[in-house]
Amino acid sequence: MEKNIINTGSITYAIRGRDALRANGCKAYMFRKSGKDAVGCGYSVSTECSEEKIIKVLNNYGVKYISIVAGEG
Amino acid sequence: MRYLDNAATTFPKPPSVVTAVNNCLKFYSANPGRSGHLLSLRAAESLYKSRKKAAEFFGCKNVENVIFTLNCTTAINFVLKGILNPGDHVICSSFEHNAVVRPMNELVKKGVSYDIAHVFMGDPVATRNSFEALIKDNTKLIVCTHASNVSGAVMPIKEISELCKEYGILFMVDAAQSAGVLPIDVTNMGIDYLCVASHKGLYAPMGTGILIATAPIERTIIEGGTGTMSLLDLQPDMLPDRFESGTINLSGIVGVSSGINFVKSKGISNIYSAEIKLVSMLYDGLRRNNNVILYTDYPKAPDFVPVLSFNIRGQHSEDVARSLNDYGIAVRAGLHCAPLAHKTLGTINTGTVRVSPSVYTNVTDIEYFINCIKKVSK
Repeated sequence: MEKNIINTGSITYAIRGRDALRANGCKAYMFRKSGKDAVGCGYSVSTECSEEKIIKVLNNYGVKYISIVAGEG
Repeated sequence: MRYLDNAATTFPKPPSVVTAVNNCLKFYSANPGRSGHLLSLRAAESLYKSRKKAAEFFGCKNVENVIFTLNCTTAINFVLKGILNPGDHVICSSFEHNAVVRPMNELVKKGVSYDIAHVFMGDPVATRNSFEALIKDNTKLIVCTHASNVSGAVMPIKEISELCKEYGILFMVDAAQSAGVLPIDVTNMGIDYLCVASHKGLYAPMGTGILIATAPIERTIIEGGTGTMSLLDLQPDMLPDRFESGTINLSGIVGVSSGINFVKSKGISNIYSAEIKLVSMLYDGLRRNNNVILYTDYPKAPDFVPVLSFNIRGQHSEDVARSLNDYGIAVRAGLHCAPLAHKTLGTINTGTVRVSPSVYTNVTDIEYFINCIKKVSK
């Protein structure tokens, strides 16, 4: 199943984002991207929730992120 | 040893704190925010939980505004040197520690100016007015200790905060002696920058401090690796990373978290009332001794934190502390890194003997202390 990957600029935001998504019913986990795929702090959050829902949740919780991309998390 | 030097750092640390620090060192003391392996991630989760706990404890809405520092002094320096520019004016209380006074005097060399507002112990309105009288068009910041590390006097933070809001001035509070003893809510109390010595009232290991910054800090004074945005040549903007360059003291920070749990489990109001009762008992015992000089009114709640200064007539404070050491009592004498406070109290030439209990101090310790003072003062 396709996942959305949220790239953040800080591990603090990655954890906050993950927790916010989980609190809103999204399965989410944090991981570190490797090599050329790494964006920002290198820590990203993978979730199966839709981009629309992700944006809504992250904005509601004031979680800053760099980008949301479709991908394998 | 009867340890009554808890205003310097609390001792002993609670077993729960020792265990938490020990477990971190033994089982997951990897570098957080740097790697993708399980131990680094576990360390990062632990760091985040500690940050979240500190944010909740101090009423800070955003967890990223909690910055872990080396100590309270570092936190104060981050703020003063990060926000003040040539031409800015600052007002400090007359009870400030050298952690404030020394960086301020360095900033004076760069064109910052400051004035000292006299604190009228037990008169919040007069103290507020003292601050207000010094406000200028270019006053950018008011700095006030929450409680004096020499006299134990609690400052009228609420009144000064309201003053800051009225005039649009930033407000920094040095909570070195109050965090863990008095309730602090940065949101409700209108504090822009809160500086905490977590190794004191939060019972964490030394080498830990907290800065809670709810207002921006323009510049950094330390730059380096943060594990964040490594391709950038310049320090990243994001908090808390912007102010946490280099490897952090994870085991110490875990100790902060555990210390907060300890304080919460005891209850701040219980800790405060028990300790102020001990200091009041001490005050009563000392004032019956004609050779003892006391410098404050009776230390009643809520005007004082559990810190008491005194002297013995004809003896230097350092000599008294040395004699007490011979009786197995640990206290701190001298100027307590706060000459400004001693000038305010009129004790700049002698310093004072300072007694500060913790949750581990009991009535027997205070009775013993009073009896020893009788012997030392003869």
